[in-house]
Order: sequence, then structure tokens, then C-alpha cells
Amino acid sequence: MTTVDDTTTHRPRSVAATRVLPASVGLMRRSIVNITRLPSAFIPSIMMPIFQAIAFSGTFFAIIQIPGFPTDRSINWFLPLAVVMGSGFAGIGIGFTAIRDLEGGFYDRMRLTPAPRWSLITGPLLAALVRSLIVTTIVFAVGSLFGARLTHGPIGLVPLYVAGLGIATIGTGWGLGLAYRFRDMRAAAIMQLTFFLLIFLTEAQTPLYIMEGWLESVARINPFNNVIRLARLGFVDPPMTWDDTWGGLLAIAVFSALALLFARRGLARLSRV
Amino acid sequence: MTVTATAPAPTRPELHQSTVAQTLAMSKRSVLSLWRQPSLVVPSLIFPLFFAALGTASFARATSIPGFPAVDSYLDFALAGAVVQGILFGSTVGATALATDIENGFFDRLLSSPSTRSGIIVGRMAGGMVYGFFQTIFFITVLLPFGLSIKGGVAGVLTMAIGGTILALAVGALMSAMAIKTGSSEAVQGAFPLLFIAMFFSSAFFPRETMSGFYGTLADINPISHLVEGFRDLTIEGFSLSAAVRSVVIPAILAVLAVTLALRTLKHRLAAR
Repeated sequence: MTTVDDTTTHRPRSVAATRVLPASVGLMRRSIVNITRLPSAFIPSIMMPIFQAIAFSGTFFAIIQIPGFPTDRSINWFLPLAVVMGSGFAGIGIGFTAIRDLEGGFYDRMRLTPAPRWSLITGPLLAALVRSLIVTTIVFAVGSLFGARLTHGPIGLVPLYVAGLGIATIGTGWGLGLAYRFRDMRAAAIMQLTFFLLIFLTEAQTPLYIMEGWLESVARINPFNNVIRLARLGFVDPPMTWDDTWGGLLAIAVFSALALLFARRGLARLSRV
Repeated sequence: MTVTATAPAPTRPELHQSTVAQTLAMSKRSVLSLWRQPSLVVPSLIFPLFFAALGTASFARATSIPGFPAVDSYLDFALAGAVVQGILFGSTVGATALATDIENGFFDRLLSSPSTRSGIIVGRMAGGMVYGFFQTIFFITVLLPFGLSIKGGVAGVLTMAIGGTILALAVGALMSAMAIKTGSSEAVQGAFPLLFIAMFFSSAFFPRETMSGFYGTLADINPISHLVEGFRDLTIEGFSLSAAVRSVVIPAILAVLAVTLALRTLKHRLAAR
């Protein structure tokens, strides 16, 4: 009888060698699987931006008649806003999931595993990015049926997707950071309200030069205005220029970093509890 | 030995057992529950004001669009939408409380008591009606210093307040029917977007004359459009019989239909026990 020494060919891996990416992908897959297992939780996040794009463009159809309005299709103006809102709430939805996981004890179990702490943020982040891609694609497809057109060709989709992914990243960091700090549904109201205000206190409904009074002043200094402007680049008449692009990219980069740092510090605080 | 005969307790006046007295007692409980939980109702005061302020700053120049009624400012136009929006949002609170009563068994205890069935339902809606009246006056009072002018004067304000009160009954009854049918506060909350959709497919935010296609058709047949326009005419044109009738009769018809539906739903629920 021949005995084979397995230890020479198959050495057990140290738990310390668990890397961020595989753990993150595992957590992302868990979140994505939940979409199919619990569609009632995800479908509203698809339906609301679709409804918003259609309802806003129908209700405010006539604003394109205001002299100087940058597009002759109201759906072109409101579709990118709906994508930004939908992607943002896809990120914030990850915060809701984190609250449920905290209340259900899933996070306690995760912290007992050798999964790197960062994967508890990057995993949900990857899931939010996938959700954002789904939302953007579906909203664009439905919006196209309702008359939305890319005024500068398919390249106009790039800033739309970038803005969607960026805002989903910010929403995830913000949502997770609040979830880790509050650890219950009180965080949900703060997540939604702050995000809602930040998005609407921009040129969400009309361009800056059409606004009057306080909103124009607030929107001018609101960095999220640049993100919405970025999302709209491919849908408005003025040409896509770097001048209109870099502000949005910078806002996404800075606020993504801050939001993810906020989440990481929240997670560290959670570990000390 | 002294024997003390206990005198029979004085009988309560007949009125205390009447339908009116029972309904009043339930109404008092309903009003108190709103008063004691301001966090439930504050959003329905803040958000309509926020949207009115947002719209006034965003759409100030839209008032010159063909089809837009002659107004001093968009704020005058926006008031009616803000009032109806607030009442639609606020009236779901009472129905949610009714569903909670069903969930925690209080509703069953009421049913097993000798109280009238209609008193239980109407009493629960009374809180919403009082709140609807308060909301109407509150929105007008808050917006007056910001330049709101009501051409209909005191009569116009009173008519709007009465219309708002009846609308609160209608919406509360409709949502109560949902609460009785499902016995779930989550289901009542879940039905809330339907009210949101009904409001958006109306002339609550922009005039019907500026809408086109299927959207314009939906707004034409939506009773909320005609109700809002009654309120709006009282604000921007002055008091007229036509505006007063639309402001009061439309919500009254809706209220009769909704209360009938709620009582029928209750009857079916009782029959199924």
C-alpha cells in the first residue's frame, strides 16, 4: 500500500491570507442573489426612477419653452436626474440592508470570520455598483421609449453611467456609515432625507440661469450640482466639453473618498462596541 | 351593627352611549394620538412647504409660458398643490394607526365592545380631518410672509380649509379600507406611492393646459386636477361659486365613495370572522 503525504502538495492556507477581493465578491454575490430572492425590495428602486423620469417630464413638459432651455425634450432633462436619484438610492438601499444585517446578527458572524474589514464595505459597494448599472440601463431603455435621445451620440452614455456609479458609491458610503453608527432604522430616515435634499437643492428641475432667489445661490455651491450636470452632458444641446465634465468627476472622487472613509470609521467604531 | 346600603351608581346620561358620543370618544383618541406623536405628522408639513419653495425658485420664469394662468408668482400657483400634497401624505397616518390597532389586537377589543362599527371607523378618521383643516391653515399662514396672496380672501381660505378637511376624510377612508382589508401597516405604507402617482398625474404642480399627449389626458380625467384647480382659482382669481363647488363637492363625492368602501370592507372582515 502506498501512502501519499497530502501536506506536501496541498498546504492549508492561513486565514490571515484571506484577501479583500474574494471576500468582497462573495458579499456582493449575496446581495445580488437577494435581488432575485426578494424582488419586492429591489423592484421599487427600479420603478421609482422610471416613474420619476416619466412623471417629471410629463408634468413639467412645458419648461422647455422657457427661452434658453438647453434641450427641446423634457425627458432628456429629467431622465439623467432620475438615474442619479435611482443610483443614489441603490447605494442607500445597501445601508438599509446593513441595518437589517446588524439587527439580525449577520455582522456579528461576519466579524468572527477572517474576512478583511474593508470587504464589509467593498462587498456592499460592488453590489451597489451592479444595482446602479441595472437602474441606469433600465431607466435609459424606458426613457428612450418615451422619447429620450442622446444628442451627441452613444458617447453621451458614458457620463451618465459614470455619474450613476459615482453617486451609488457616495450613497453606499453614506448609508453604511450611518447604519454602522445608529445600528437601527433611525439611520434610514437620515440617509433618505439628506440625500434627497442634496439632490434637489441643485439644478434638478431647471438650469441655474432660469432659477431665481435662494435656490440659485444654494445650487451654485452644491457640489452635487456638478454630478447632475455630468449626467446630463449627453442629453442637452450644448456640446460635451471638459469644462462641464471635470467638476462632476472631482465631486464624485472627493465625496466618494469621504463617504467611504465615513463608512470605514463607522465600521471601526462598530467593532469597538 | 350598622348596615350601609350602597346607593346605585348614577346612570350615565343616555348621550354617553349614543353613536355620536362613541364617535366623539374615538375621535378624541385619534386627535390625541396625532398630537402626542408629532414625528409622524411633521414630514407632511415640511415636505409640501419644501416643494413649494423649491418650485417657486425653479419655475418663477415658467409663469410666462403660454397656457400658464396669470399669477403674481409661482407661489400663488403652488399653494393649492402644496395643500393637497400635505393632506394626501398626512391622511395616511390615521390609516396606518388603524392598521397598527388591528395588528396589536386593539381593534378586536373594540369590535367585541358594544360600540358602533361606524364610530370606530369615522372616529379614527376624525384625527385626520382635524389635521387636514390644520394643515390648510398652516400652509397658508406660513407662506403668507413669503409673498402669497389669496384673492379669495377669508371666504376663500375657509372654503379651502373645509375642502381640505373633507379631502382628509376621503383619503383617510380610502387608506382605512386598505388597512381593514389587509390588517397590515406595511401594506398601508406600501400603498402610499399610489397617492403620490395620483398627484403627479394631475395639475397639482403645473397647469393642464401645458401638458400634452396621454399625460394631459390622464390629468384631464384625474379628479385631483379639478379639486386642485378649485383651490387654485380661490387663490389666484378670487372667490367664485364654481371654485367653491369644485373645492368642496369633489372631495365630498370622494369621501362618500371612500367611507362606503371602508364600511363595506369592515362588514366583509366581520363576516369572515
